Amino acid sequence: MTIREAAESLRARRFSSVELTTSAIGRIESCNPELNAFITITAERALDRARLADIELAAGRDRGPLHGIPIALKDLFATRGVRTTAGSKVYEHYVPGADATVVEKLEAAGAVSLGKLNLHELAYGITSANPHFGAVRNPWNAEHTPGGSSGGSGAAVAAGLVYAAMGTDTGGSIRIPASFCGTVGLKPTYGRVSRHGVFPLGYSLDHMGPLTRSVRDAAMVLNAIAGHDSRDPASSRHPVVDYVPDDGCGIRGLRVGFPENFYFERLDGDVDSAVRGAIARAESLGAEVKRVAVPDIAALNAVARVILLAEASAVMEPHLEKRDRFGADVLALFDQGRLLPAVDYVNAQRLRRRMQREFAKVWSDADCLFMPATPNTAPGIGETTVRLGGREEDVRLATTRLVRGINALGLPALSMPCGLSASGLPIGLQIVGPPFEEALILRMGAALEDGGVGISPCPFPRVES
Amino acid sequence: MKDWRAMAKAGGLEVSERDLERIAGPLETLEEAFRPLAKELKAEDEPATAFHAEETE
Repeated sequence: MTIREAAESLRARRFSSVELTTSAIGRIESCNPELNAFITITAERALDRARLADIELAAGRDRGPLHGIPIALKDLFATRGVRTTAGSKVYEHYVPGADATVVEKLEAAGAVSLGKLNLHELAYGITSANPHFGAVRNPWNAEHTPGGSSGGSGAAVAAGLVYAAMGTDTGGSIRIPASFCGTVGLKPTYGRVSRHGVFPLGYSLDHMGPLTRSVRDAAMVLNAIAGHDSRDPASSRHPVVDYVPDDGCGIRGLRVGFPENFYFERLDGDVDSAVRGAIARAESLGAEVKRVAVPDIAALNAVARVILLAEASAVMEPHLEKRDRFGADVLALFDQGRLLPAVDYVNAQRLRRRMQREFAKVWSDADCLFMPATPNTAPGIGETTVRLGGREEDVRLATTRLVRGINALGLPALSMPCGLSASGLPIGLQIVGPPFEEALILRMGAALEDGGVGISPCPFPRVES
Repeated sequence: MKDWRAMAKAGGLEVSERDLERIAGPLETLEEAFRPLAKELKAEDEPATAFHAEETE
């Protein structure tokens, strides 16, 4: 069931928000021991909120499609009175005094939060194998990673524990778990959704967005959270629109850019064919597919890595003397960031601006770009390398290869499922658009979804025969 | 190419050789990709310190 279907049923009194929330709590209780998607479950608070949602609906106060819908939040979003760990030992007992702006907006929209979701430590990695709160597992195959850093968000949505989960994306951390878990994941334009109250990783690269079961559900969540926030210095005043695509929205005449360099190099064979299949489907629905050349994305990735290393180490500098509080992988990244000369950081920001201008030229030939979200499907938990195109690659660098540069450009990007591999793991299609064109990429995704691009819901828990 | 191992030690980082490798190895690879890019910069290239995603000019 999608948010839209649940919302319709709530209004038709087929069930109440309390019943929906009780059902979600039951599912979390039975599934979370295996998935480890949640760090903190707020069942009592959720039921209180659900009761209020029912009372309001009965009284004719309708807050919109999220009213009474169970959701959850990556444990990076500050929640008043509820522990917010950032997946870190440093913040293990931290209880914020105020909500993040996104949390305030979701509450105002009537959403019912069931708790805080597990993640890669400090959102600084792609496996969600958290050394302090345990590894999150992929509901499609529990021996595989859900991706990260928003791994709990991907797992919780894919397993049907909640209807939507908030994630953050600094180098692919929404789109990677969406790809690996077979959910929709939306990284809006930088500045579209407030960062206020969300623990930072890379100040100039951090984006907040939803993971959901359908493209229209992601649009409904974006409607609730988008907009200017004076408490976030990077927040944009660009006008907000209704992001939910119309039923039967067409894509006839829209120009789909097919990158002829970089994005289709060194891919898993199943990923390559599934994404090409989605492009063919877009064409059959009336889109015009155009081959486009993109600027040097390997260079853009290097620039984004320099920026992230420096910014992340700046964030955590006050805590880095207590080395035993960090997992080995994130500690190595923080040490790397501390060693980088300041000149490199400034030069990376100069290169970023230059590359932003170069990349913008793509939009004269295409309305959006189609590419894989990840070159691979979910690796096994603990795997450190992946073989792609005959080359052994570091799993983190391979997994972020097609997503990281988009963060440096600040562009909106959608990951949606477009097939399963031979081993039964989801494959993600990534649709990237010009700045603030979320409505366009969501329309493209919804048309594809309507046109049959997608996968069946995750069969979790599997019934052994 | 910078000697990242020496820089780490000079900075007072007391870690095992294995951990030193985890720090220096990726920086060497990154430097290899990044340094030539930085050399292309011109004086008029401003940093994106006040970054706006809609900016194209």
